[in-house]
Amino acid sequence: MSEMKNDDFVNYELREFKLFEPLFRWARKKSLWIVAFCTGCGGIEMPPLATARYDFERFGIMPNPAPRMGDLFLITGYVTPKTLKRIIITYEMMQDPKYVLAHGSCPINGGVYWDSYNVVKQLDKYIPVDVAIAGCMPRAEAVMEGIMEIMRKIEDGTADGWKRYKENYEWYKKNQDELFGEGWREKDARRWLAWI
Amino acid sequence: MDMNEKPKVEEKVQEVPEVEAQQLPETKEGKLVAEILRKAPYAEGSVRRARRVEFKVPADRIKEFLELTSEKFEMLMQISVVDWIKEGEFELVYQLWSVSESVHAFVRTRVPRENAKLPTVMDIWPVAETYEREAHEFFGIIFEGNPRLGPFILEPREYEKHPLRKDFNTLAYAKTIYGEDFDRYDESKTNYVI
Repeated sequence: MSEMKNDDFVNYELREFKLFEPLFRWARKKSLWIVAFCTGCGGIEMPPLATARYDFERFGIMPNPAPRMGDLFLITGYVTPKTLKRIIITYEMMQDPKYVLAHGSCPINGGVYWDSYNVVKQLDKYIPVDVAIAGCMPRAEAVMEGIMEIMRKIEDGTADGWKRYKENYEWYKKNQDELFGEGWREKDARRWLAWI
Repeated sequence: MDMNEKPKVEEKVQEVPEVEAQQLPETKEGKLVAEILRKAPYAEGSVRRARRVEFKVPADRIKEFLELTSEKFEMLMQISVVDWIKEGEFELVYQLWSVSESVHAFVRTRVPRENAKLPTVMDIWPVAETYEREAHEFFGIIFEGNPRLGPFILEPREYEKHPLRKDFNTLAYAKTIYGEDFDRYDESKTNYVI
């Protein structure tokens, strides 16, 4: 057996289970665990989504306190550079496959904060976004629709943000470093996550 | 009588009322203001409406005045800053709440924009520390005696610029930091997106 590199192992693993891949996709779409990291104002749409009226748990979706066990990362509303640092670290902590759903116009183009000094204009430059919901604020129905779209994309195999992040990591890293400055992980992130 | 003659208009000599000091009303607010002004004649005071009074104090005696008012106004609710760029001044508004009298007071003072310096009021109300740090961060006002002035909420490069000053160009800053490849910046509005 030839020597395998670290990247090859991931590919090998994917190739190995190709036969069962449709089954896995179906299972993944049926059990989306949300990372409970509500950024910005969209977090207020989560309680009606979780409670009796829209009750997303009937779709196998549930909020989850730990990024290590989450699949779906909701970016609910505007993102400031300070939050973005935490978002990137949380996103990298999540296990593959992981999906990102961005709420509202702020992650798309800044929304009403388009000329603000402290709101990130395009979230897509820093982490891959699979589905973005336009509007301000998206109601719980719109969020539900976005989650349905994520489910459809998971079944198609087109929700591949986590793969894109690996493939284009240099580009994402470049954008992150441009915004935060070189060595921000060592300088800032280490203060709240000692093991980075 | 000549028809073309215009009727004479009696010229009214309007008497300009002499500017008098505003009479303080006979309410609890009026009494409160009068009592404070008796002790602090350098300040101006007025009653805006029920439970709302206002003082204007020169900046060099603000500490003294706040020490005096803290007997009646036990609580400091906020220190807000207004940037009067044409006059070249910062206006600081100390918002005080009197727990015993249920009266809200604005204490206004003005300092020049260049090297704005004020004494800290941390020794009167310890909570002032946070508000002073915020005012320092967003406007660059220096509160002498506050030990924790420095970067607080903002990113370091925002902190250098003091983003709530009126002469801070937000759009130019956003373009340099977040990149210009974005259609909301398009001023010809060809690709305008709401």
